[in-house]
Amino acid sequence: MLFVVDAHSGVPIFRQLMEQVKFHIASGLLKPGDELPSIRTLSVPLGVNPMTISKAYNLLVRDGVLERRPGLPLIVKDVASEQLQTRKLDQLRESLRASVTMVAQLEIDSAEAVAAFRSMLNDLPGDPAGEPSNESGDEPGNEPGDPDDNISDQKETQS
Amino acid sequence: MNVLEYDNIHRAYERGRDVLKGISFAIDQGQVTGLLGKNGAGKTTLIRIAMGMIEPQKGTVRVFGKDPRSDALDVKRRIGYVSEDQALPPFLKVEDVIALHRGLFPTWDDDLALELSKRFDLSARARIKELSKGQARQVALLCAISHRPELLLLDEPAGGLDPAARREFLETSIQLLNESGTTILFSSHHMSDVERMANRLVMIHEGEKWIDSDLDDVQEGYCLALVPHEAGVDCATLLGIDSCLCARDREDALHAVFESEPGRCADVLQRQLGIENARCLHIALEEMFIELVGGQS
Repeated sequence: MLFVVDAHSGVPIFRQLMEQVKFHIASGLLKPGDELPSIRTLSVPLGVNPMTISKAYNLLVRDGVLERRPGLPLIVKDVASEQLQTRKLDQLRESLRASVTMVAQLEIDSAEAVAAFRSMLNDLPGDPAGEPSNESGDEPGNEPGDPDDNISDQKETQS
Repeated sequence: MNVLEYDNIHRAYERGRDVLKGISFAIDQGQVTGLLGKNGAGKTTLIRIAMGMIEPQKGTVRVFGKDPRSDALDVKRRIGYVSEDQALPPFLKVEDVIALHRGLFPTWDDDLALELSKRFDLSARARIKELSKGQARQVALLCAISHRPELLLLDEPAGGLDPAARREFLETSIQLLNESGTTILFSSHHMSDVERMANRLVMIHEGEKWIDSDLDDVQEGYCLALVPHEAGVDCATLLGIDSCLCARDREDALHAVFESEPGRCADVLQRQLGIENARCLHIALEEMFIELVGGQS
């Protein structure tokens, strides 16, 4: 799985990690029951204070995203499939927030904005208009966040 | 328990020109505190006071509840210290420098020292003067942490190192955190290192403490407001708002840092001053540092 930390973004690292875990779950890369890497194994290659990772994990447990089992690694909590769908949509809304601001700042008519979004969807390879089908998550390559954010000082961790 | 405690520290190098004007803060066990400030802000002085290398003219410092000058031996044995300008004896071999430190610290961990020297790829027989800056700093780090100190004081430890060496340094410190829960106070001009490593931030400016807060709170609880000149307010008016830390008149707009999250800040500006078109945004630590302490008026 892939975590990236951008220490220049102004977004606290614990929040970046939380978003990425949620994204990987929504995209299907992490499935219910999958184990999360331990704080120790993650902190050194990521170059992040272990307490920061611990904070992110704890908040995800609080939010019902991860599940703690005594003496065992954290796992992705099993949720009903409709809840998973809600989460996917939440994830999408979150990433569209910046675009909505942009639409307002550029004073673009909302019908035009929707048309632009639709035409980009049509350019997607595969079946854009069809049902969301990618449950198995066999396209794990995408990273969350603005691609522009990831300019420097970041580290990818494969585990 | 507080591992390190500064209480009302004053220090001047010249009569009447205080570098530190009454700094107080304490560091809990296991806390990693990033110490920020411009060059000359007094970061090095503070760290050296904790080491017992400099005495404050007023105020007290306690390390593990003890006075680092009167209890020097006991305190120093439990501290690890690396600074940017630390000089190791140039004609000694790496193995001699390590042996020297080994003899000084009863808690020396041979396995850790060996692991680090392998990891840093240090050749035991090389003389210090033959090493690159990065390697010399690695020897210093090895000597500073192989006794598994309870408190690590790092004064600009990555200064002058290339990004790869800096990262190696960071990872080694984090490994120590993982294994020993070491308390760390470090000064750095690399904001990204501070964001990665620290969970608390202390910023000093002109001898006084400006910010002392959880790192996450600093990132989420502060914002930069850009107030266009057309709004017709000046810096003094902005500074009149309680949460305003500093305001500067720049070419593009007034720049003001608020201790408030962006939404609330915009709200306050609108309600108190009738400013409609201020932009309030979260900013990265580096920008915040520059807004707070950097540049001309």
